[in-house]
Amino acid sequence: MQVQFKVFRQTVDSPARFQTYALEVEPGNTILDCLNRIKWEQDGGLSFRKNCRNTICGSCSMRINGRSALACKENVGSELARLAKIQTDAPGENSATSEIPTLTIAPMGNMPVIKDLVVDMQSFWDNLEAVDPYVSTEARQVPEREFLQLPEERDRLNQVGNCILCGACYSECTAREVNPDFVGPHALAKAYRTVADSRDSQTEARLEQYSEGTSGVWGCTRCYYCNSVCPMEVAPMEQISKIKQEVLDRQDAQTSRPIRHRKVLIDLVKEGGWIDERKFGLMVVGNSFRDLRGLASLGPLGLRMLARGKFPLMFEPSEGTAEVRSLIEAVQKAED
Amino acid sequence: MTLKYAYFPGCVAQGACRELYMSTRSLTQALGIELIELKKASCCGSGTFKEDSQLLEDTVNARNIALAESLNLPLLTHCSTCQGVIGHVDERLKAAQQDDPAYLAQVNGLLKQEGCSPYQGSTEVKHLLWALVADFGIEALQQRVTHKLAGLKCAAFYGCYLLRAQDHLPYDDPYNPQSMERLFEAVGATPIYYRGRTQCCGWPLSSYATTESFKMAGGHIQEAIASGADCIVTPCPLCHLNLDSRQPEVERVVGQELGLPVLHLPQLVALALGISPKELGLDRHVVSTQSVLDKLGV
Repeated sequence: MQVQFKVFRQTVDSPARFQTYALEVEPGNTILDCLNRIKWEQDGGLSFRKNCRNTICGSCSMRINGRSALACKENVGSELARLAKIQTDAPGENSATSEIPTLTIAPMGNMPVIKDLVVDMQSFWDNLEAVDPYVSTEARQVPEREFLQLPEERDRLNQVGNCILCGACYSECTAREVNPDFVGPHALAKAYRTVADSRDSQTEARLEQYSEGTSGVWGCTRCYYCNSVCPMEVAPMEQISKIKQEVLDRQDAQTSRPIRHRKVLIDLVKEGGWIDERKFGLMVVGNSFRDLRGLASLGPLGLRMLARGKFPLMFEPSEGTAEVRSLIEAVQKAED
Repeated sequence: MTLKYAYFPGCVAQGACRELYMSTRSLTQALGIELIELKKASCCGSGTFKEDSQLLEDTVNARNIALAESLNLPLLTHCSTCQGVIGHVDERLKAAQQDDPAYLAQVNGLLKQEGCSPYQGSTEVKHLLWALVADFGIEALQQRVTHKLAGLKCAAFYGCYLLRAQDHLPYDDPYNPQSMERLFEAVGATPIYYRGRTQCCGWPLSSYATTESFKMAGGHIQEAIASGADCIVTPCPLCHLNLDSRQPEVERVVGQELGLPVLHLPQLVALALGISPKELGLDRHVVSTQSVLDKLGV
């Protein structure tokens, strides 16, 4: 079958453009097979990273039809099926078009382009390094033989151990787009790997570091992009949540506003079943009148919402409040 | 046959986005969709319960789902976040029935101990958007339109949880969804495509990383304006809060006057059925919706 590849082309300091290549392919051909053929048969100047061809090395991550993925993992058939489904869903598009199907290939996001599909991953590596992603045994007496782990302790590392550092999550991370301090989902997934490792002796210091400001776990917006695009099912956002669980277990609501946000939310659900948003703002941002600057920052929002009739003057608790409260308490007791 | 749902209103529609509650009521009444409100339901945790513990998120929402199950009805949400959270819990617990019965037994044990009905996995969790597109049907909706929203350019803002929180999305591609745009066309409006429609509004950061949060919201609003949108339309009240209620602060962060109205999904559809803007709470937005009403001649 004939398909077209619309490929992003750019060299440093020149404007980006898309170049189209026609190719005769089989549905089972991977996107990487096709890019190789374009390079070998049509345009030797096209640049992209590649190595293992087998979803192991993580080199060939790029944006394939709108999301970051490995070129060696995705194939023409499944991409075309996806595009056809979107086309049928799209408004005003009830019949299949007779045009030659087109696959769009672009470089990863959140990193500057060096050439074509090759991006500069320096910030990706620097941010990984920033979480100190090595198991630390410094504080311990080094044993005469290797450290022992129970199989269940080792099992806790499997999911994150699958990470091949391809950069797909980092490429789509919405927090990275607005916050240059945020280390990114790949780094925090690896960070969790060290927190979860029974041999690591730096857990407390790590949790302090990973919960500082918005460079660590509190910088995540929970947009689910990293989970959604990860080709290895590492689910970075789940790992970020697990670090947060460890932090929330140790730190109280006065430590910081992100922590207060989480604690107050649960308290308010216990109190009214639903969240009383008036109290939420006062307690989280205003720290129950302890943070006057925070409180003052809410003033304009409150006034504007009052003026537009949007401010909730009343709050009606859920009829199931007592039941929910005792249920939450039962869960908390079960987890103690 | 009358469509009937167990309606989960959520916190925000009962608080700072009361107009969402009002417009869902008006729209479903006009379409003959019956809603039985889950008065005993509780907050889904908006993704925050899970940061405390997975068991907490699963147990509280298993209770919410079981309330719908006891009515033998699908649970209807009108919030992307509630949908993503409760829908994903439903997926996880249905999978646990096969793969991890001990976990499900723990969840149900807690529910029974507190006098709640156990989770059965017998229903589904459905956003109003999907109910309109898939259950009521686009063609049927088109036939009910009395006031075509001709010429109104609408930019969808789906919300992260509606697109990516569930493992299996029943109706849309998570990176290139079309159901909002199909609804726009059904009511005679024109869909506007822009990158931001599948992105994050920044709300989860808004209580403590306001600059980052508003930068995020601002970028999307700027893009929607540059693409010619008359308004943003969202199926998520949390997105609405960051895009509408914080828009004056967003303007300061991006250094540009924006003034782009942000409508809730049921408000837009109900306008096409001739329901009055007042009844839909269109006067309760921080960014005035008058420019939209003027364009429609309402």
